Amino acid sequence: MAELTVENLHLTYGTNQILKGVSLTLNQGEVVSLLGPSGSGKTTLLRAVAGLEAPHQGSIKLRDRTIFDGAAGLDVPAEARNLGLVFQSYALWPHKTVFDNVAFGLKLRKVPADEIATRVKKALGELSLGHLAERFPHQLSGGQQQRVAIARALVYNPPVILMDEPLSNLDAKLREEARAWLRDLIVTMKLSALVVTHDQSESMAMSDRILLLNNGVIEQQGTPQQMYAEPQTLFTADFMGSNNRLAGQVSELQGDAALLTGEGWQLRGRAKPSAKMGAAGTGLIRLERVRVADGPGDNRVQPELKTSMFLGDKWEHVFNLGATMLRAHGPRALSPGKHWVELPREDFWIF
Amino acid sequence: MSAVSAALGGGGSRGASSLLTWRALTILTTAVAVLGPLSLIVYQSFLTAPFFDARKTAGFGAYAFVFADEDFWKALRNSVIIAGGMTLIAVPLGAILAFVMERTDLPFKRWFEPLILVPSFVSPMVLSFGFVVSAGPVGFYTVWAQDLFGVAPWGLYSIAAMTVIAGLTHVPNVYVYASAALKSLGSDVEEAARSAGASPFRVAISVSLPLILPSMLFAAVLVFFLGFELFGLPLVLGDPEGILVLSTYLYKLTNKLGTPSYHLMAAVAVCIVAITFPLVLLQRKLLQGARKYATIKGKAGRMRELPLGKWTGLALAILGLYLFVTVIVPLSGIALRAFVTNWGFGVNLSEAFTLDSFRFVFQEPTHTRAIWNTILIGTVGGALTVACYTAIGFATHRRDDGWSRFVDYLVLVPRAIPGLLAGLAFLWVFLFVPFLQPLRTTIFSMWIAYTVVWLAYGMRLISSSLMQVAPELEEAARSVGASRGTISRKITLPLIRPGLIASWLLVFMIFEREYSTGVYLLAPGTEVIGAQLVSLWQGGAIDIVAALSLINIVLVGAGLAVALRLGVKLRD
Ligand SMILES: Nc1ncnc2c1ncn2[C@@H]1O[C@H](COP(=O)(O)OP(=O)(O)O)[C@@H](O)[C@H]1O
Ligand SMILES: [Mg+2]
Repeated sequence: MAELTVENLHLTYGTNQILKGVSLTLNQGEVVSLLGPSGSGKTTLLRAVAGLEAPHQGSIKLRDRTIFDGAAGLDVPAEARNLGLVFQSYALWPHKTVFDNVAFGLKLRKVPADEIATRVKKALGELSLGHLAERFPHQLSGGQQQRVAIARALVYNPPVILMDEPLSNLDAKLREEARAWLRDLIVTMKLSALVVTHDQSESMAMSDRILLLNNGVIEQQGTPQQMYAEPQTLFTADFMGSNNRLAGQVSELQGDAALLTGEGWQLRGRAKPSAKMGAAGTGLIRLERVRVADGPGDNRVQPELKTSMFLGDKWEHVFNLGATMLRAHGPRALSPGKHWVELPREDFWIF
Repeated sequence: MSAVSAALGGGGSRGASSLLTWRALTILTTAVAVLGPLSLIVYQSFLTAPFFDARKTAGFGAYAFVFADEDFWKALRNSVIIAGGMTLIAVPLGAILAFVMERTDLPFKRWFEPLILVPSFVSPMVLSFGFVVSAGPVGFYTVWAQDLFGVAPWGLYSIAAMTVIAGLTHVPNVYVYASAALKSLGSDVEEAARSAGASPFRVAISVSLPLILPSMLFAAVLVFFLGFELFGLPLVLGDPEGILVLSTYLYKLTNKLGTPSYHLMAAVAVCIVAITFPLVLLQRKLLQGARKYATIKGKAGRMRELPLGKWTGLALAILGLYLFVTVIVPLSGIALRAFVTNWGFGVNLSEAFTLDSFRFVFQEPTHTRAIWNTILIGTVGGALTVACYTAIGFATHRRDDGWSRFVDYLVLVPRAIPGLLAGLAFLWVFLFVPFLQPLRTTIFSMWIAYTVVWLAYGMRLISSSLMQVAPELEEAARSVGASRGTISRKITLPLIRPGLIASWLLVFMIFEREYSTGVYLLAPGTEVIGAQLVSLWQGGAIDIVAALSLINIVLVGAGLAVALRLGVKLRD
């Protein structure tokens, strides 16, 4: 059952088109992340769902309750949508204690005082904030503020919880712990969540499904595995990992096999839908798929090693293939000079 | 001077010590300009006769006389009533207007904002006069109302009317603080409340209002204390019925005894400062409270304006009525009155039309000099004033030592001294200090008084410009080897230039508007329109008052037009 359905949503600021026909669904118990580069319209989309932005076309439904319909002129105000929203800035009310921040939504729903107390205590307990109830927001650390913001959005059991970059204000180390914790929380509480992020590894770690937003349209959507292993467009492929990109000419194309010819090299790979015979093409391969070999062989090139960098758990080698930079991972340092490098056919995508 | 730089912790390199000297000089000059006149008032209040009188002795005679005077207590009571009443009117109205302007989709907002601020730019003397010619017993609107409806159910010469008018004309003071507070209040905290299920009204009550409450309190204290400074309004509207407030009581003291009763005036002045100074300190405390939430106020982001829907009409009506009563009625009255020979029941507007008042104004040297001086003090004087304020600003910029804190308090002092008293104090300074006497009849005497009176206001403008310069920009200059002086001249000053130009425009406008500071300094040679109006009004020259008032409005309007054109923010 889809908890949230967005169809063909359009939104403009002045003459500036921000959302150009976005559709998505969020199913019960699912964590979907909205991924995209900065400025792609993620926040705008989330706010439009929350009722804080005014789209001019399309529709938004919660189960079978329509909350926005451009054609019918229906626009349920934000306060009547009953959604949980977590702001990137947390937006805690500085004049209310943690308890009052969390209790506010329940008070508005006319929940009896004693029930408010138990529910707020329970929510705070679940987020390990029980001992901080009487503090004011400015007396909390960033991580604690973030958890209060989440508790505040969960406490009245909204059908869908919307989060705008919930982890972006935490420092790097904390962020990695928090994403595991947050996913676990959402799953155990059986929530349906739409989470905005610009970090692809965060989105893959946290979500059941990823919607990749590019310039106001959904570029591709799927499970993290699909998004990573079967990108349909160059943009998706490029966004989802660390890659080598090689520019050349598509000189052979048969089914999904193609040959890309560059300056001084020829490589075979899997053709993606956008590849056209005789046209310029881009080859793309994930860094971790490039293999340093000890001699010539299938789909191998022989670039010059420029430098090797120690990353702790591995080395990163940077080669020069003509004017193109080629990067690869390896277990140990390499001696200077030319090396054979393999770009396996099935991992080399040609767009 | 070396003693001073030593006192400032100087020494070190030559550059550093000359800079310290410069800084000390600035601070000391400011201190003398501010504290000198004030101490003269205090000194005078403890004498039994004017300070230049050989028979003076020290004593509390002046206070004894004032406290025994029944009129003093009446005036004090009236001041308290008016100040309290106007606060009760201005604060809610200012807050409502700010909310409507900042948060809703009211149409034509861009046009309304400068209009809302107009009363704070027009001289209160001019505004009060405008109310008399418009809504006084034979004012234009009174006559029209009686022609149309048979009645004009308002009386202007009462404490109630003065309170209402003072309240309405001080709405801008509240408005600027309330709307600044709403602006800086992150919209995300309001949106968070809406997504949690709060209606717009509930958001206003539970989130916005508590968060801007410190600023509102600040504004309330400000208005209350401005109530004690009122002078033009009670002079014009209170006089006909003999209603005195503290400032007019002081002003009338001279007439009371027939001889210069400086010691009595000084005693009243000290009483006024004794009321206003604690209020200024209270304000300062409240301002710190207002900043309490600043560290965690969330992100001021984009926000969908609240649709007013069916309330649009009501909001427009409130705003329109406010602007009609506070801006249109008095200003249109003046504009009309300046072009008629006389006015009353049965007078026909087209028959009474005349340009005689203006002809007279431009033929009379004192009036042309007043106009010329007013322009001069606003433009050249304003620029010099901004230069002085900037020097003081640099003397404390990014320095957190005893001297900076001293200046912080120092600039607050003039704020507690109403313009009328400051003018009086400067008059005495010019009479008292021999080498200053020749300057007494030059516009310089006005200028220095204006500059000191508006010190607190001006310093706020300058320091808010200075604070906007990111410290890294100055630190970067420092790390490449620039000295403090070089940084000030080559980095900071160019960066704040737009802010200085804006300050100059604002100072121009308040100098055009100023009237009470000049009342006692008015002399052949120092005429300015504001003070001239007070004296002409006392003499009953209504036609000339109307013409000069209109010219004054035009001057302020010109400044306002340039400011709007340049996109100068009319408030901080
Ligand atoms: N108030 C606004 N007025 C005009 N354009 C805006 C406004 N807010 C955001 N935008 C534009 O909308 C686009 C999408 O912004 P946003 O949704 O915040 O992107 P994201 O969250 O994906 O980084 C950006 O190009 C931004 O410049
Ligand atoms: Mg964003």
